[in-house]
Amino acid sequence: MNQKKRTNERFPGVEWIPGTGAFITVDTEKCTGCANCVNVCLGDCWTLMAKKARIKSLDTCMECASCWYVCDTGAISFKWPTGGTGYRSDWG
Amino acid sequence: MDKMYDVIVIGSGFGGPVAAKKCAEAGLRTLMIERSATVGEKVISGLTIPIYGFLFGPDFIRDGNPPFERPADGIINYIITDIDNGVIEIDDTLRVPRPFSPVISFGYNAYCKPFCEWEAEKAFQAGTELRTSATVVDVIRENGKVAGIILETGERIFSRIVIDAEGSQGLVAIKAGIRKKYPPEAISLADTYDYEMDKSDVDKLFGYSLRFCWGWDEQKIAPPLGHGNGLMVWPYRESVHFMQDHCLRLDGGKVPNLKKRFREYHDNITRKLPWWREEVAPRCTVRARMWEGFEIYVGLDPELRKMPNHDDGILLIGDAAGLESTELCDGVPAAWFSADIAADVAIEAIRRGDTSKAFLKKYDDRIKDHAVLQWSISAKNRYNLRYAQEKKDPRLLKKYIHNGWGMGQLTHSLTPILKMTFRQIQKDPAVITKWIKMYFRYYQNWIHNGYDFAGREDRIVDEARRPKTGEAVFRFFAGGLELMLRLLRPLIQLLAMAGFYLSGLANPVMKLLLPVIRPLYKLLRKPMAPLGNRLSDEIVRFVKYADPKLFEVASETKCGAGAKTSLPDIR
Repeated sequence: MNQKKRTNERFPGVEWIPGTGAFITVDTEKCTGCANCVNVCLGDCWTLMAKKARIKSLDTCMECASCWYVCDTGAISFKWPTGGTGYRSDWG
Repeated sequence: MDKMYDVIVIGSGFGGPVAAKKCAEAGLRTLMIERSATVGEKVISGLTIPIYGFLFGPDFIRDGNPPFERPADGIINYIITDIDNGVIEIDDTLRVPRPFSPVISFGYNAYCKPFCEWEAEKAFQAGTELRTSATVVDVIRENGKVAGIILETGERIFSRIVIDAEGSQGLVAIKAGIRKKYPPEAISLADTYDYEMDKSDVDKLFGYSLRFCWGWDEQKIAPPLGHGNGLMVWPYRESVHFMQDHCLRLDGGKVPNLKKRFREYHDNITRKLPWWREEVAPRCTVRARMWEGFEIYVGLDPELRKMPNHDDGILLIGDAAGLESTELCDGVPAAWFSADIAADVAIEAIRRGDTSKAFLKKYDDRIKDHAVLQWSISAKNRYNLRYAQEKKDPRLLKKYIHNGWGMGQLTHSLTPILKMTFRQIQKDPAVITKWIKMYFRYYQNWIHNGYDFAGREDRIVDEARRPKTGEAVFRFFAGGLELMLRLLRPLIQLLAMAGFYLSGLANPVMKLLLPVIRPLYKLLRKPMAPLGNRLSDEIVRFVKYADPKLFEVASETKCGAGAKTSLPDIR
């Protein structure tokens, strides 16, 4: 795989391979702005804008699906990133 | 043209390769699909694989040389009631006694990545085809029956049976309409830090002991027990793993701000706990931080437990089937057991040409019949721990820690452990010598870092230091035992069968005996210590220099149609 890898100094030992696409999406109609997703995301991928959850960036997403689990209204949908992309670590 | 396989395994974590290897060895055309670019990239660590996984798990792991990091022989508990004033009780009595320790340990700490690679490589050698960088998004249904999988590219791959080992999120099973998404109450989010440390420092500071930290909620020192595991530190070969985990939601309440809490807990431990601040921190540097959700509460919820683990043409194993141990917070043994069973059932189903739901029910029956697996996913001590913590009672907390992991455990785990032991002996009495050799071989591998693919093959035995007498004694006893097991096979099998049925009495009997055994053990521990230590040292010296051939078990490798002789490029 020759794709360029990204790193983040707050999360050492992990690389992200771009090309994942929108594997997490949010339906703003259903979102109540409860901020559950913002609270559980250790990668800091979420933010609230005008009382709706928005994805800030999936650059530090570790695909744990916590946001998807805690979304009571089903506004967040989650699938796996494209094969061969997303986070990777040698220390797992 | 569409490809046709006998078996497709989704995922190459701990369970997938076990199932794939067995199917390939049976001559089935097997494909294993992994969504990451190389095996083991998308796993996080921080674990001790409990010994029952190795004892009752797949043969090739028991008889092989898997890459673990360090044996685990004890847990040192820090009960922190006032962190700012340093009120900390250290309980170091939870350990495997000498001379059994360290050769006989209660588990082995491991990095998931090399372990999964090792397993995948074994599956590959047996003839499994491996496809990486491929994400399965759905199953193919033909007349209601699962007939293969669909990749994100739209590619369709057909198979007689699909074994789903994709992990706790279970997206494929949800898409296929077999299972539902877990509620956040069932999921614990684990936050792991990997610290690099010199081996000599890990030896000195940790030895073979794990460290658990327990604190009252307002101490903000470790996530509340019962809602997670608190905080655990695992010593590895040349590193240390720090893991805290917390449930995503507590009993219908509010979702906690884990982003803030985890940082707080980590900072408090590393800055305020004297042991960490003064001893550990100066000797370690952080190398990685990673996290993952896992479903430790699924086994405790009757409704969630009832979710199907099979359907027409598909079997779910490991985390994908909700088989995560609540007591030890470990899904590896359950993944191995279920993968082994799933492979057996898949092979039989394909040979009979019947992969219907009705036939695959056999898998569910055998899962329910697996005493250790069922015990591990349904033990409830976690609630006791939480209760003690809410009561802020250190004595009660200590009691429940010892009930969960110490001698008290025998009152609820002895029956399942004995049942599985007798069942294995009934199947093959020679397993006893295989278990003994496993302990010795594993410990020798730990000393010499001599796993497969880590130079085991090139190791030169130091002839001058070989303990010839010890070797002769070992050979005499192991050989004698093996001969006896072979000669008395029918009798031993009969006894094992009787033992299996009598095991039901073990827990209640243990409950009666424990009040006697406990004080007796306490009384004898000190005076027996010097003898135990000396014996233990002798055993360790013997294992260190003995010829590794002594502990080898003849492998029964059978290779399927597509078996490979050279190693694949997956490392």
